[in-house]
Amino acid sequence: MKSIKRNPKRFLGKQDLVKSGLLAAIAVFASAAQAQDDGNSWWDNVDFSLGGFIRPEVAVSTSSDDNPANQRGNTFNERSIARQAYVPPALIGTITQDVLGIPLPDTNTWTTLPVPTLLASDANSPGVRGIDSSTNTGSPIRGVDNKFNYQILRGELELGVHLNSDLTLISRLRAIYDPGWYDDFNAHSLDGVQGGISGGIPSLYQGSPDYFDYRVEGDKHPNPLEWTGKNYQVYFPALFLEYNHGPLNVRIGNQQIAWGQAIFFRVLDIVDGLDLRRHSLLDYAQEEFSDKRVPALGLRIGYQLNDDILADAYVQKFQPTVLGNPNTQYNIIPVAFTVHDMYHEGGYENKLNYGLRLKGSYGQWGFQAVAAERYNPDGVYRWTQSGVNKDLPDTPGSLGNLVNTTMALRGKTSGEVLAGTPFEASPGGVYSAQEWFNYAAQVRLDGINGLNASIDEFPDSQAIYASHVDNYQQAVNELNTFFIAAGGSLRGHIARDYYREQVYGLGASYVTDGAPGSILDQLIINLEASYTPNKKFTSTTLSQKPITDNSVITALVLEKYYRFSESFPATYFVLQYMYRNVDDLFGRSLKGYGGTEEKIPDGVHGANYVVFAFQQPFPNDVYRVGFATLYDPRGSILVQPGLKWKPSGAWTVEGFYSYINGKLGGVNPNNTLLSTIDFADEATIRVTYQF
Amino acid sequence: MRLLRYDHDYSRRHFMKSLARGVAGAGVLMPLWDAIAQSGDASKAYPDELLSIEGYTRGRLKNGDLITAANVDLVRDLLEPIKYQQIKTMGRRLKLAPTTGDITRLSPWEYLEATLRNRGKAQFDGNGNIVVDGGKPWIGGNPFPDAKTGIEIFASITLSWGRHDAAFYAIKEYDLGVEGDVRYNYDAGWAEMSPVARVCMEPMPYWPAHEDKLRFQSIFFASPDSAKGTSFLNVWPYDQHSFPDLYGYVPAFKRIRQFPTDQRFEPLIPGSTLYLSDAWTAGDPLYTWGNYQIIGRGPALAAISGGWNADHPNWEHKTHGGPKGKTFWDTTVELVPEAILVSAEPTGFKRAPVSKKHVWFDARTMLPIAMVTFDRRGDPYHSFDGAYALYESGEHRFMDGRHPYWSWAHVHAFDIQTGRMTRLEQVKSITGGHATAVNDPAIYDRYLTNAALMHLGNG
Repeated sequence: MKSIKRNPKRFLGKQDLVKSGLLAAIAVFASAAQAQDDGNSWWDNVDFSLGGFIRPEVAVSTSSDDNPANQRGNTFNERSIARQAYVPPALIGTITQDVLGIPLPDTNTWTTLPVPTLLASDANSPGVRGIDSSTNTGSPIRGVDNKFNYQILRGELELGVHLNSDLTLISRLRAIYDPGWYDDFNAHSLDGVQGGISGGIPSLYQGSPDYFDYRVEGDKHPNPLEWTGKNYQVYFPALFLEYNHGPLNVRIGNQQIAWGQAIFFRVLDIVDGLDLRRHSLLDYAQEEFSDKRVPALGLRIGYQLNDDILADAYVQKFQPTVLGNPNTQYNIIPVAFTVHDMYHEGGYENKLNYGLRLKGSYGQWGFQAVAAERYNPDGVYRWTQSGVNKDLPDTPGSLGNLVNTTMALRGKTSGEVLAGTPFEASPGGVYSAQEWFNYAAQVRLDGINGLNASIDEFPDSQAIYASHVDNYQQAVNELNTFFIAAGGSLRGHIARDYYREQVYGLGASYVTDGAPGSILDQLIINLEASYTPNKKFTSTTLSQKPITDNSVITALVLEKYYRFSESFPATYFVLQYMYRNVDDLFGRSLKGYGGTEEKIPDGVHGANYVVFAFQQPFPNDVYRVGFATLYDPRGSILVQPGLKWKPSGAWTVEGFYSYINGKLGGVNPNNTLLSTIDFADEATIRVTYQF
Repeated sequence: MRLLRYDHDYSRRHFMKSLARGVAGAGVLMPLWDAIAQSGDASKAYPDELLSIEGYTRGRLKNGDLITAANVDLVRDLLEPIKYQQIKTMGRRLKLAPTTGDITRLSPWEYLEATLRNRGKAQFDGNGNIVVDGGKPWIGGNPFPDAKTGIEIFASITLSWGRHDAAFYAIKEYDLGVEGDVRYNYDAGWAEMSPVARVCMEPMPYWPAHEDKLRFQSIFFASPDSAKGTSFLNVWPYDQHSFPDLYGYVPAFKRIRQFPTDQRFEPLIPGSTLYLSDAWTAGDPLYTWGNYQIIGRGPALAAISGGWNADHPNWEHKTHGGPKGKTFWDTTVELVPEAILVSAEPTGFKRAPVSKKHVWFDARTMLPIAMVTFDRRGDPYHSFDGAYALYESGEHRFMDGRHPYWSWAHVHAFDIQTGRMTRLEQVKSITGGHATAVNDPAIYDRYLTNAALMHLGNG
C-alpha cells in the first residue's frame, strides 16, 4: 500500500485518477481544493493511502450434478413423465355462472373424470421438459454437468484520504468480472416453444444468465453505488466519511456493520443482509462473510463510554439480501418461479433500519446487548399475479384449444384470465405434478396447500376452472391437467416482500483460567441469543399471509488456542452450537421441512447445527492449514479443508475443497439443511497479488 | 597517550567479584547512582577503559571506525553471540561512536527526574507487585535504578516499556527470507499508555479509577491490504500474575472479538519473527516468567544513542549486509561501561518455543540493549537488538513536550535457526496518516479502546 503526502496538483495527475478509478476521490479533492486559501498548506496535512489486490478465483466441480434449481440441472430433464388431464370439477359451474348467471354444482372431484383423447388429443401426453406437448415440437432441455462452478477475476482498491487527524474518507472499490465460461441455459432456446418465456424482468428470465445485475420490479439500480452488467460488478463495499474525535466515532456513507462474537452463525450479526451473488456461501468458511455483507447508506455512531463499555448505534437505508440470479451457478430459487421483488414498488426502498448495541468487558467477562428495528433482509415470498396475458396454446384438438373455446363462450380469453393468476403458460416451468411436488419439497413448500393457495387467493385461477383440492391425487390430476392445457409447463410467479421486525439480543463471554497449557486454560466461552417477536416467514403454501412466529436463535461458542508442540504455533479451534426454534440457517420456516415427491411436509421442531473448525499456522505463518465443518444432525454436512500459502507479501495462494453431503445415511434430504447445496462439491483455487 | 588510573583488568576483576557476590549494585569506582545523582553523569563510576572504545581496545579501534568481520574479534567479548555471528559471517557492520556520558540523553527527561526523585521508595508487596506507601501503585520513574537482582531489573522494564506516559510509534516492518530479500513489509502502529506511574501527563501519577491497570497497549497494521485493519488491544492489569485482556479486530470478521491472552509466542502476521513476548524484551507479565538471575556483568557495545535518522523526511534508515545488502540496519554503537546480563525462564507457558532468554541491560539506565532466546533444546533461537536515540540531531529535533523525544529507533529480530530477519524502524508516520506521537492524551481514544479498534479496522 502506498502512502502519499504531497501537493494534490502533482498527486492528482490524470493517470492517477484513471488508475484508481475512484470517482469519489474526485469530489473530495475538488471540495478540498476549493477550501484551501493558500495553495499547498491545507494539503500538507492530507495523507492519501492506496492499496488493493487482484485475484482470479476458480472453483472446479467434483460432483456429477449441476444446480437443480437451474434449467439445465433440473433433475426431471430428459425424463418423460406420464400425465393425464381430468375434467375440472368446476368446469360446468363456472361456465353456467358466466353464461347463464346460474352456477351449477361441481362435477365431483379432480379424480372423477379423465379427459378422453376424443376431446383433446394431448389429454394424456407425457411431460418432457422443453417440449410443447400440444404440438409435440421443441427439443428436450438437456442436462449438463459443468466442470467449472465459478470463474471470476476480482480486483479491489482501497483509497484512504486522511483529511486531518479527525476526518478520513474511506473508500473501497470492488470489481468482479465473470467471463461466463459455463455451459449455461439460454432462455432464447425456448423461444419457439409455448411462445417462449414471457414474464419477469427480461434481463433475468428471457435470455442467457445474468451473473451480476440486481434487479427489482421498477428499479434497475436498487443498490446505490453499484454498477453491474451481465458479466461484471463494480461497487463500493465502503465509501464513507469518518469523524473520530476522542471517544466519538461517526461514520456516514456506504458501509457494512457486523456485530456479535459468534462467527458464521449470525445471532447478533443482524445489521446487514448478505450478497449471495458470486460464490454464495461457499467461499472460504474461515473468512466468514468478509465480502458478503450488503453495504448500506447510513450513519453509525460509536462512543466509548468508559474503558469497558462501547455504545454503537446505526441508522441505515434498508437493503435486502441479494440472491443469485436465475440459472447462475449458485441460484437457490428454482427457475420455474419468476420472482417479482417488491423492494421498490412496495416502498421498502425508502425504509430505514436502526439499532443500538452496548458492548462491555470486565476482566474475563464480556457482555453485549443489542436492539434493532429493521426490515428482515431475507424477505418473504408469496404467490402473485403473473401479469402475463398469453393464451393457452390453441392447437386444434388440444386441451388448450378446448379451454380457449369455453373461455370464448364466456366472453374472455385464457390469457386475460391467466394474467390474474400466479401462472404463465410458458416453457421452462413445471411440466408434471411429480416435478411440482419434488421441487416443492426441495424448497421446503407444501405442494398441495401451495396449489390451493394459488387458487383460493386468486379469483382468476378459479375463473379458469382451477379449484381447491383435498388430497394428493386430486392435486396431481389438477396440476397435470393445467400443465397439459398450457402446452407443456406453467411458470409460477411469486413476489418478495419485506416485513419490519424488532430484534433483541444478549451475549456474554468468559475466558477461563486453568493450569497453563491445559485444555481449560484460556478457553473462550461465548453465549449469544436473539429474540424476534412475530417474525414473518414465507408461508409453506406461498400464501399471501406469511407465517408468524416468535423466533429464538442461540449460539454457544467455544474457542481455544492450543499448542501441541514447541515448534509450531498454537492451533486455533472453535466449536459452535446453534439452536433455532422456528427457522433454519437459511431463514426458511421449519414448517416446510420433511416433504417428498409423494408427501407434503409435516415440519420439524427446532433446528440444531454444529460447527467445528480449526486453523493451524506454520512457523512464521507462511502456511496455514484450515478446516471447517458444518453439521446438521438431521443428516447433512459440509466439510471444507483448506490451505493458505503466503510466499511473499505480494502473493497469496489459497485452495480449499468443499464437500457437501445432503443426505447422510439416506435420510430425506428435505429434512435437513444442506441438501439445498448438495450439488456444489468443488475445489476452489485463489491466487492473490496485492499492491 | 593517556594514563589509565586502573590497570586494564581492574574492571573485569570487579565485575567477576560482583557477579560472584550475587547481589551487587552497578558502578566500578563508586555506586553508579550516587555518581548520577551528583552530576547527572555516570562517568565517575567507571574507569577510563570503560568509557571509550579506544581505551578498551588500547587504541586498536576508535570512534568512527567500522566493526566488520575483519576486526570483530577485537570486541567479541562486548557483543552478544548472535550479533557477533552476524558480523563475522553475514556482513553486518557497526559504526563506533563515543560513549554517552550525559545520562539525560539516555532516557526521557521526566522519567529520569522521577527516577531520582523517587529513588528508594519502591518495594514489592506480598504479591510481588511494585508499590509505594504500603500498597499504592508505583508513582513514576525507574523503581529500582540501582537494581541488585534480576527480578528488580525485569520488574522495572515490565512496569514501563517506553518510559513515556503515552506513546504512539509509527512503525515500518520488513521481513526478510534467508535469501536476503524483503518478502513482507508492513506499516504498523504501536501504542502504549500508562494509567499509573505517570510523570508528565495529567493526571499524575495516577489516572483516577484506573489504578488497577498497568498499561493499555495496542498494535495495528495499516498496510498492506491483506493485513490492513488487523489490530490487537491489550489491557494489562497491575497485578503481574495476570495476563492482559486481549481484544482483536480481524478485518475478515469486521468486528472486535475477545482473544485468549496467553498466546504470546504466536506469529501476529505472516513472515514476522516477532512475538508479543518480545516487546521491550519483557512483553509478558512479570510472573509468567521466573528464575530471574543475573549471570553476567561487563562492558558491552550497544546502540544506545544516535539511532535517529533525521536526514530522512520520514526518519527511515539505511541498510547493509546479508546476501542482498538489506538484512541489517546501519547501526551506530558505543561502549556501554557496564551491562548486566539477566537470564529468565518462562513459567506460565506450557510448550512455549522458548526455554529461556538472556537479556543485556545498560546498568546506567536499566534499558535492554540485546536479547537472545533459546529453544527447548537450549540452542540459540532468536535475537533481538534495538537502537535508541534522543531525537535531536543538529538543527533537527522532535519534542516530547518540553524536551527532545527519547525513544527506540530501530530493531532487529533474527531467527538464527532459519535465517529469517525481521527489521523494525520507528518512523515519522505511516500509511493512513498515523504519526509518531508522545505524551498526547488523545492516544488513548485514538488507539487504545474498542472504539479505536473499530476505527482502525474500517469495520
